[in-house]
This record gives sequence, structure tokens and C-alpha cells, in this order.
Amino acid sequence: MKAPLLILRKDLLVLRRSPALLGVLIAYPLVIALLIGLTAAYANAKPRVAFVDLDGIPPHVTVAGHSFNVDHLIDDVAKNVEIVRMSQSQAEQQLRSGRVAAVVTVPKGFVAELKGLVSSPHLTLATGTGGITPRVRQQMQALVYNLNRKLQSAFIQADLQYVNLLLNGGSGTVLGHKFSILGLAGTAEQLRQLPPSEQRAKIQDFVHDARLALALTGNAIRATAAPIELDEVSGEGRSSALSAQVQAYGLAITITFLGVLLAAGALAAERDENAIGRLVRGLVGFGQLVAAKIGLAVTVAFGLGLALLLGFGIAVEIGDVRGGQPWQRLPLVMLGVVLAGAAVGAVGALIGALARESRTASLVGILVVLPIVFLGLVPKEIVPAAGWISDAFPFVHAVRFFASALYDASPWDVVLPEGAWLIGLGALFGVLARLSARRLAA
Amino acid sequence: MSAAPLLAAREVSRTFGDHVALAPTSVEVRPGEVVGLVGPNGAGKSTLLAILAGALPPTSGSVELGAGVRAGWMPQRPAHYGRLSARQNLELFSRLEGVGDPSAFLARFELPDDGRPATALSVGNRQRLDLAISLLGDPQVLLLDEPTAALDPRQRRRLWETAATVRDEGGAVVIVTQHVEDLEHVADRVVALIDGVVVFTGTVPEYLRSEIAGALR
Repeated sequence: MKAPLLILRKDLLVLRRSPALLGVLIAYPLVIALLIGLTAAYANAKPRVAFVDLDGIPPHVTVAGHSFNVDHLIDDVAKNVEIVRMSQSQAEQQLRSGRVAAVVTVPKGFVAELKGLVSSPHLTLATGTGGITPRVRQQMQALVYNLNRKLQSAFIQADLQYVNLLLNGGSGTVLGHKFSILGLAGTAEQLRQLPPSEQRAKIQDFVHDARLALALTGNAIRATAAPIELDEVSGEGRSSALSAQVQAYGLAITITFLGVLLAAGALAAERDENAIGRLVRGLVGFGQLVAAKIGLAVTVAFGLGLALLLGFGIAVEIGDVRGGQPWQRLPLVMLGVVLAGAAVGAVGALIGALARESRTASLVGILVVLPIVFLGLVPKEIVPAAGWISDAFPFVHAVRFFASALYDASPWDVVLPEGAWLIGLGALFGVLARLSARRLAA
Repeated sequence: MSAAPLLAAREVSRTFGDHVALAPTSVEVRPGEVVGLVGPNGAGKSTLLAILAGALPPTSGSVELGAGVRAGWMPQRPAHYGRLSARQNLELFSRLEGVGDPSAFLARFELPDDGRPATALSVGNRQRLDLAISLLGDPQVLLLDEPTAALDPRQRRRLWETAATVRDEGGAVVIVTQHVEDLEHVADRVVALIDGVVVFTGTVPEYLRSEIAGALR
């Protein structure tokens, strides 16, 4: 094993003496990981929605006897969108230019119709085109749903006041007209003062039944308004930027890029440097050479993986984010880093042996890694073929290993099979690289 | 010339795709001789030398290295790590060869020891570095591919001395060269190749009188 270690030491020395190359090799995958992280975070970002008030809604609106602060109400219900007030012309212009994802317009007479409690007023939603539109539409539907939930309780209370009038009598107002009614309780009292008769008995029965039925109205209205209630429990998991998937993808992308490119470039460079002839004359065997390049991928993956994990862990501590076990699971994740580094290093060694020239190997390495990474990002449930192809390369197994090792309460059900995948794929690609390495001396 | 050969190629050939770089060729290198390999560009000299060195597998035939015999090889193109300094290259290859501190080679071949990467050295320095690496394992057989191409006259003389020392100590040298001067100073025997085929084998005076030598000049 002395010869592979000497070649590995030489490669690390070469890397140390090539700071620009090392910098690019480290920065490139980190930038890719960061971009994917930002994309993931963007998926949870609030789209900007213009709010056009053609009705001149006052700061406070009283509906069904309840006063609402309009701005507070909008802030309260607009959880997933950023509402920005603007004029109609501004909104139309910004929608065309894409600066807002949608425009919500409150038409004239909206508040009056709302206060009337007779018909439902309408809001108008105008959306642009593009991939975000369905998401904005869903979020605006959610906003209107939340708004309706807020108003609904006020309406129910108003309706129940009318029911109460029917039951107990009193004064009320409908469409601005005041009225007084006797109510069922008063009617029953009046009936008791009449002489007994068959007619009185029938009316008393009706009043009795009606009072019983109306007493249940409150719960019936609430149940009808919301047949199913969803109780929300606020989560204490990590923020999206530090979520398990983003960490796992960041780590796996970094290791995959570095491992493949380093191993491929370093093996092909032995031929570029014309040193391969000296080495294979009995100093270093082809298998030892491949092992040295896999060792290079593992060593660099270990160093960079540890730095990334420490960075994630410190960020979690500073942010006081709960969920996951960044420190306790460090040894298990690092085991995954070693296995993933070896597997991607073997893929890189195979590419280097086939390409035979370091520039070609680097180019082919990038051309191979990019689709592997992007295939790994496609959910298996959506495109099964992407899942099958991904399974044949180490990337997706590394992602699953890291995600499980970092966060699953019982990671062994995932870590063991994914670790076995990484070992198996590493061995397979390593053997193929060893067989192909003869081409370097030809 | 009756001693057992230190190194022998038996009907070795080499093709690259459809191109025959070397037709089946047999060469023996015996103790105490320096063999000059001559021929025009593309004749197959470097291919034969790389096959003798074990750096290039032959398409057919075999190479036999005497029991316990070590061979050193200096290829035509620089064969060391350009990012590493001369010292780092020598240290790496000496460790791979399993020999001690290579500092003496730095002084012997007048190589710079200032940490510069090998790519920053002159062509002559890089050629001397290659020669030093090929001698690290104290080889009995030295295989040199146009070793004097970039050397100044003083370094060229030192190379002839090195080759003579290996020969005088019972070893052997195979030297690929385009220079008659190299043959006259160190070679005992000449093998001429044209288009991958051996067209002449004989002593240096015989070669110099031959039509082949005239054609190659």
C-alpha cells in the first residue's frame, strides 16, 4: 500500500501547489450547492402581489356588528404573499413587467355589498404567465379562504342574533330597516294567556318544537360553514435554507463534483505528464494508481465535507434552530462522506482512464456529473425512469444517506442500504476503472 | 559477447490502430555494451525503447529482463510532474524506487533547488532531471531516448561519462540518438530502424561506413 499513498501524497502536493485550481474546484460545487439552496428557499418565498383598492376601503370596516382594521386583517391573512398597495395603472404595468406576480382588485361597492349580508361581493385576481402563476393562484385562493374564515365568524354571530330575536324577541335591523318582534318565547307566553282550545294546543306544540329546533341553530350554522376544521400546530423544524434536504444536496453535490473531477483529472494527468510510463514499469500498478485517485477523492471529500458540516452545525447553533442532531450525527455523516467520496472517486477514475487526457477528462466529468445531479433532483414518483438511472450512480444514494443520517430519528433503515449501494457502486466503478486504466499506457 | 543478455526483446511488435509502429523485432543487450538506436523520425526507436523499458506493452512478442536486473528509463519527452520542484520529483521517485535521500542527485546533475516547479525550469534542466530520475534505482541497464537533444556540450560530455560508467561497471546502455557524435563517443554497437523494421546491426565503424548511415545523414 506504500505506492498508492505516495501517489496520493504527490497529488495533494500538486493540489497545494495549484491554489487557483484548488480554489475553483472547491468554489464551483459550493456555488452550485448555494444556488440550489437559494432555489429551494425561493420555493418558499412570498410572491409579490399588487393590491388595488377601487372602493376606497376605510381603515376600519364594520361588518355584522364587528369592526375590522383592514390593514391588520390583510397582514393576518396574507401569510404566503407580500401584499403591496398600488394604483390600478401601476399594478397593470408591474404585472406586465413581472415585478408583481398577480393583482388583486377590490371593485367599487365591495364594502357596501359585504355589509349588506345578502350577496357575496367579488374580488378580482389577475395573474401573469409563467411557472409561478399556479402557485400564486393557490396562495390567493388561500388568502380569500382565510379572509372568509375571519368574516365567517362575524356573519355567524350576526345570523345568530337574528335567530335569538326569533327565539326571545326584541329589536333588530335588516337592510337599514329597524323592527321589533315578539319572538317564540313571547308567543308562548301570549298563548298561555289564551283560553285552552285545540287550536291553541297545536300552536303551542309548534312554538315548542320551533324553540327546540332554533336552539340548535348555532352549532348547525358553524358546522355547515366549516364541515372540517384544520387545527394548525406551528413547527419547530429548521428553516428552509438549513433543511435536511438542502444540507444533504449541498454536501452530495460538493462531493460529487470534487470527487469526479479530481479523480478523473488526476488519473488522466499521469498520462499528460508522461509519468505513467515510469510508474507502470513496476513502481505502481494500475490498480494501485486507481486506488490512489479514489483515495484523493476521499481525502478531499473528507476535508471539505467536514468543513461544510461544521459550518452547517455552527449556523444551526447561532440560529438556535431546533430539530436534527448536527453534532451527534457527525461521525455517521462523515462515514457517508467517505463512502460517497470513494464511490464518486471511482466514477471519476473510470472517466479519467477512458478520456486519457486531463482536459478531456474534466470536460467529460462535468458533462457526466451535471445530468447525474439533476436526475437526482427529479422525484422518483414523478419520473420513474429518472429514479432508475439515478440509482445507478452514487449521487442520489449519498443524498439519501446524508439526509437520513442528519435527521432521521432511526437512520439505520436508510443508512445501511444506501451505504451498501455506495460500496457496491464504488466497487463496480473501481473495477471498471482498473480495467480501463491500461489504456493510459497504450 | 557471450554473457547472458541483461535485457532482451523477442519478436516484439507494436501497432497503433492500423499503423505498424514496430514490426516484429528482436534485440539483446549484454553486459558491458552501449547500443545506439538510430533511424529517421517515426522509425520506431522510441517505441522499441519504451517496450524495452516496460512502459509500453508490446502488441506481440515479449521482453525479458535478467533476474535481479534493474532498468532505468529516460523517455524523450519530460516524464516528471511539472507542478512539483526538482527535489520533490526526485523525492517521490526515490521513495517509489525504495532508495534513500536523493539530495546527491540534485548536486550531481546541477539541478536548481529553489522550489520552482519543474515547468519553470529550462529544457536542459528538465532533461537532466529526467536523467537523474532514471538513475535513482541504481540501474544496471540504462535506456536513454535522445538524452543529449537539449544539453549543452559540457552536460553532453557528462552524460557520455555517465553512460560509460554504467557500461564499465558491467551494465549496459541503450541510447536513441540522431547524433553521430553520441555514437562515436559511447556506442559499441548500432541498431538502425526504418519504418519499424531493423535494417542494420553492427559496430559503430561498420555503421558509419554503411549506406544506411549515408542515407540517414
